[in-house]
Amino acid sequence: MSAQSSFWVVILALAAGTFLLRSLPLWLHGRTPAPRWLERLLRHVPAAALTALVVPASLYTKTNGAYEVAPARIIAASVALVVAWKTRNMLWTLVAGMAALWVAQAAISMG
Amino acid sequence: MTRTTHSMLAGCRAVAPIIIGIVPFGLVAGAAVTAAGFGLAEAIGMSLLVNAGASQIAATALFAEGAPLLVTVGTALVINARMFIYGTSIAPVLVPEAGRWLGVLGHPLVDQSYAVTMTEGRYRDDVSVVPYYVGSWLVLAIIWQISNIAGALAGSFVPTSWSLDFAVPLVFLAMLIPALKFRADVEAAIATAIAAAVLVPLLPMQTGLIAAIFIGMVWGATRHHEHPAVEVDE
Repeated sequence: MSAQSSFWVVILALAAGTFLLRSLPLWLHGRTPAPRWLERLLRHVPAAALTALVVPASLYTKTNGAYEVAPARIIAASVALVVAWKTRNMLWTLVAGMAALWVAQAAISMG
Repeated sequence: MTRTTHSMLAGCRAVAPIIIGIVPFGLVAGAAVTAAGFGLAEAIGMSLLVNAGASQIAATALFAEGAPLLVTVGTALVINARMFIYGTSIAPVLVPEAGRWLGVLGHPLVDQSYAVTMTEGRYRDDVSVVPYYVGSWLVLAIIWQISNIAGALAGSFVPTSWSLDFAVPLVFLAMLIPALKFRADVEAAIATAIAAAVLVPLLPMQTGLIAAIFIGMVWGATRHHEHPAVEVDE
C-alpha cells in the first residue's frame, strides 16, 4: 500500500470513529444511559491526552528512531507553559514558544 | 428573516470572538499535512471528514513518524473521546429539536460549538437551538478550512531548520491549560506527564503515548472518586 493510500485509510478510519463518538450519545439519548465508570474515566481524557502530546515532544528529539534529551526544547516549552498559563492565548503561546526555541538553539550551538 | 436564519446568524456571531484563536491552529494542521509529504487534497479532505483539529494534527504527526496505522488511529480517537462527553451533555438540549436531522447532528460537535450552545444558545428565547449550534460550527469550519489550506500551501516552503514541528506541542499546550479545571485534572496531567516521559522512549511504535494517556485517565478517575468535593458538574 502506498503512503498516500495508507494515509487515506487513517483519515477515513479516524473520520468514522470520530463521527460515532459524537453521534452515539445523541442517537442513544433517552434509551441507554452511559455507565458511570465510563463517564468518570472519560472526564479526564482532555487533560491526559493533551499532556501526552505535549511532554515527549517537549523533552526529546527523535533522530533515526532514537530519543535524545533536547535542552533547547525543554527551555522553550517551559517559557511557553508560563505564557500559556498567563495569557490563555494560543497565538501568544506559539509566538513565545517558537521564539524561545530559536534563541535557545542559537545559544546552545554557540556555547 | 426566518427564525432559522436568525438563529444561525446568532450562532455565527457567538463564536466570532474566538475565530482568531483557531487560525494558528488551522495553519499548523495544514502545514503538518504537507510536512508529512501529502498535499491539498489530504489537508482539505481530512478537515472535512474528521472535523477535529487536535486529532488531525496528532494523527498526521504519528503517521509521519511511521507509527502503525492502528496506533495512529487509536491515539487520535482517544483525543476525540471528549466528543463523547460533549455528546452526552448536549443531547438533552439538541435531541428534542433535532427532527429528521438527528442522524447527522453529531458532526458539527466541536469544542467551540459545544461551548457556545451550552453557555448561551440554549438559554435564548429568540433562537432555535439546532440552527444556532450548526451556525456556530459553520463559521469555525470555514475559517478552519481557509487557514488549513494556507498552512498546507505555506508549510511546504518552510525550511526544516526552523523546527516548525515544535508548533504542534505548543498548540496542544495552549489547549491543555483551560482543560485543567479541577484538582483531579491537574493530577491526571501530572501522572500522564511522568508516564509519557518514561514510557514513550521505552515502548515501541508510539504505544507509550496511549499507555500514558490511559494511566493519567485512571489516576484522575480514582482521585475523582476520593474527592467528590472537587466534582463540579458544568
